[in-house]
Parts: sequence; C-alpha cells; structure tokens
Amino acid sequence: MKRSYTPYLLLLPFFVIMALILVSIWNVLLQSLGYIPAFGLTTLTLDYYKAVFQQEEFLSALEVSLRIALQSALLATMLGVLLCYALVKRGHSKGELLYLVRLPILMPHAVVAVFVISLFSQTGLFARIAYMLGFIIDFNQFPALLYTENYGAAIAAYLWKEIPFVAYFVLALMSSISSTLGEAAENLGASPWRSFFQITLPLSLPAALKAFLIIFIFAFGGYELPFLLGTTVPKALPVQAYMAYTSPELRDRPYAMAMNGVILFLSLAMALLYALLTRKLLKQTGGRE
Amino acid sequence: MMKQQTFLKLILLITGVSILLPIAVLLLWSVTGRWPWPNLLPESYTLRTLQELFFGSAKLPDLLLSSITLAAIVAFLATVVGILTARATEFYDFKGKSFVRIGSFLPLLVPGTVFAMGIQITLIRLGLSDTLVGVVIVHLIAAVPYCITIMTDVTRAVGQRMEEQAMVLGAGPFTAFFQVTLPALLPGILSSMSMGFILSYSQYFSTLLIGGGRVKTLALVLVPYIQSGDRALSAVYSVVFVGSALLIFFLFEALIHHLERGEETR
Repeated sequence: MKRSYTPYLLLLPFFVIMALILVSIWNVLLQSLGYIPAFGLTTLTLDYYKAVFQQEEFLSALEVSLRIALQSALLATMLGVLLCYALVKRGHSKGELLYLVRLPILMPHAVVAVFVISLFSQTGLFARIAYMLGFIIDFNQFPALLYTENYGAAIAAYLWKEIPFVAYFVLALMSSISSTLGEAAENLGASPWRSFFQITLPLSLPAALKAFLIIFIFAFGGYELPFLLGTTVPKALPVQAYMAYTSPELRDRPYAMAMNGVILFLSLAMALLYALLTRKLLKQTGGRE
Repeated sequence: MMKQQTFLKLILLITGVSILLPIAVLLLWSVTGRWPWPNLLPESYTLRTLQELFFGSAKLPDLLLSSITLAAIVAFLATVVGILTARATEFYDFKGKSFVRIGSFLPLLVPGTVFAMGIQITLIRLGLSDTLVGVVIVHLIAAVPYCITIMTDVTRAVGQRMEEQAMVLGAGPFTAFFQVTLPALLPGILSSMSMGFILSYSQYFSTLLIGGGRVKTLALVLVPYIQSGDRALSAVYSVVFVGSALLIFFLFEALIHHLERGEETR
C-alpha cells in the first residue's frame, strides 16, 4: 500500500544533515593524518597524533578538559536527579516552578560566564558576603576560582546550566515511575528513601545516563566557558585546538586536527560505553525504557 | 534524620535561590554606576550604559534583527527536518530505519567545536564560508537532534488515523496532511521551533568560525566585552541577550498554552 520510496523522500533533508556530519568527521580524520593537498601535504601518517601526545601543552589540556567534563557531568547528573525527585515528590512536575527550573537551560553560555564572574570573582558578590561575615579581611583571601588552573568557575557555570537540564531531561520518566511503582512500594511499607533508592532511581537510570552522556560530551568539547573563565596555561582542549587551527603557520593545521581527532575519539568512546551500559541496564530491569 | 519532604523542600528552595540570585545581580550590574569593594550593593546607579546601547552607536536594533532572523531561519528549517524525519520513522517501515534512529543522535556525539573546524574547508569550497547560509547550516546541526526528538514524540501521539480518514473521504495526501495532521501537530511544532530558536540564538563558536565576522549576532558582540572585563557593558548586553531570548521563548509558550486550551474546549 505504501510506496517504498516515500520514507526516503521524507528523509532527504535528514540525509543531508547526516552527510554534513560525516563529511566533517572525514575532514578531521584526513587532515589529522596529514593529508591536506592545498597546503602541499599529501602523505598519510600517524606522526601528528604521536607528536601531540609528546606535547606538554596538549597533555595538560586533555587533562583539564577531561576533568571539567567528568566533574561537571557527574555532579550535574547526581544533583539533577535529586532535583528532579524533589520536583516530582513536591508536585511540581508542571507549573510555575518548572518554568523557573527551565530558565538556566535557555541561558546562553556566554551570559552564564557573566553570572559566574559577578558572583565568584575575588571582588564578586560571594567575596563581599564573606568579607561582611568576617571570613576574610581582604579580597585576595577569597579562593581564586576564575582564570586559574582548577577551572572551578567553568565547572560552576556548567553546573548552573546542567543540573536543571538533567532534572528536566529525566522528569517525564521519573514522574511516571514515581507515581506508579514508587508509590506502590511506599504503600506496601517501604520508607520514602528506600522506595527512591530501590525503585525510582534505578528505573530512572536510563534517562539519567543519557543526560550524563550529552553533558559530558558538551562540556568536553565546549569552548566559551573555559575560554572566558579559564587560564591561559593549561588551556582546555578545544581552546588549544582552535589556537592551533587559527595559527598563521598553515603546517600547524594537522596538529589542530589531531587534537580534534582525540576529542572526537573520546566522545565516541564515551557514547559506546553508554550504549553498552544501557544494554546491560535494560536486561537487568526487564527492558523498560 | 530529616524527614524526606522537608529535605526535598529545602532542595527546591536552594535551587530557586541559586537560579534567581545571578539574574538579580546581573540586572543590578546593568544599571550600576559605581560598585566599590566591599559594598554589598552599588554606590550609585546610572542609565548611561542602557542609553548608549539603545540610542548610541551600538546599532543594537540591527544586531537584534540579524540575531533573530538567523535564529528564526534555523528554527523553521530544523523543525521542517524534524517533521519529515518523524513522519518517516513513525509511519513507515523501511530498510535502515534503525540507522536513522541512531543517526539522529549523532550531532550530540560530535562536539560543535570539532564539527565546525572539520566542516569549514568544505564550506569554503562550496563558497558558503563567511555567509549567512553557512552559519545557518552549522547552527542546524546543533538544533536538529532536539527538534527531531520533539517532533517524533508529537507525531507518535497524533498518529495517522485522522489523516487516513480524510483521505478515505476523498482528500488528497497533501490536503489531508496540511488540513488535518499539521494543525494537530501545531503545539509540538511551536515547541520544536522555540527550542531551535534558543539553540541558534546562543551559539558562539560556530558563528565565530563559519560567519567569519560577516554574520553578526549578540553572542559574538557580548564575548569580547566579557573578555575585556567590562562588567557594566557585559551586563547590559547580557540583559538584552537574555531578555530577548526569554521574550520570544515565552511568546511561544503562551501560544502553545493557548492552542492546547482551545483543544480542550473544542
């Protein structure tokens, strides 16, 4: 009855999008292997990958980006799931409070950087409050979170945006579980926390894991926040890669692309890990998604 | 141990304060004249920066117009891709369907920075680098996965029954789609468009790289002010940036709300 080519026609724009992504990945890989005919580079080699892994700058950038991504994604997922539970249990899965929680999701990263600067800098609001309360007598005593190696300000900025993102992302699944199975457990005598940890949390895990993956990859490949809130040495990996990419020395291009290649490989590896974990999880909980 | 309800209430309270506090401080900074250490509140207030922005040489109206036009184009196109893709995967069986399902997740797995640096050479060859079309393309990649997800959910909920009935009654497939299914999809279409809009509106890196300075957006103008440490100006630009984004977002929300109400009373 349905003509077989109709879905392919409908998918044409989607295929164009896919093609663009695949072409981009192809370009990154090819250039990272040293193949850029326009610059007179035509031999395929792994030397650029080997070379970047010898660079102190690259290694510390990799470490910085992994740390930002892991810390912000882990904390955001845990706190976001907790926030989600609070929303569900306090009857706020709809309504005004939810609009408030969605606000940070809508905020551009650059604006969040402004927030963090006005609160966490050594002359920011928190330092002023600490002074007023007598914890510090000079602004230099306030812990430096901006423009430092610990990238604390960038992590704080990601958390501000991503905790609500996780809560919103998990909300639909968790509210349906909590109102059925979670409440059933409580009616059968389980304490509210036991019902949370043994029923609602494990069954909400697929959505939480997916949110973790999305924000991990986003923070790992993110540019604005570490660029605006971080220090110059060490840089975050995408910032380092972009610097090499825009270098006037054209022969630096393969190094930039090797760094992008590393970002790409680690992101895809994380996605693979996610796929394996989800499969295992689905087996354990009987295939609910 | 604290009772669970009290604990959860406390979490919501902390969340609310953490979300509103930076916004309040931002609004304060945007009208601050002098705010010396260690005062908790500004010493003097001024409207100078706001005046400069709206009536000075900043050309804010142009900037707003170009940002909004760009984001609107992206929102529209990403939603069209979402509608068509959702229709294909929800209503048809075909070879490679699982590939499409996985593929729609792919843009989230390739960081935007890597994608932009990888695609630039191709866009240069196509003559699309430093053009609005090029920027639309890279913004689309960021928006499409979310629009597909939203449209797939709504398409599934609406189903195909009504459209088939219209066709049984003699409507052609296009009439049936545009007159029956599209109105039913409208709330979903609006939320997909508002998502696409916000995603494009907040892009920075891809606009910088692919737009090459030719395509001007609020994000592009704001970032240098943050870099230079000008708190008053970065606050003012942020207020305009966020204010316009929220205005448009809540306009969409109000429309969706209105449509859904109408649905109930019909």
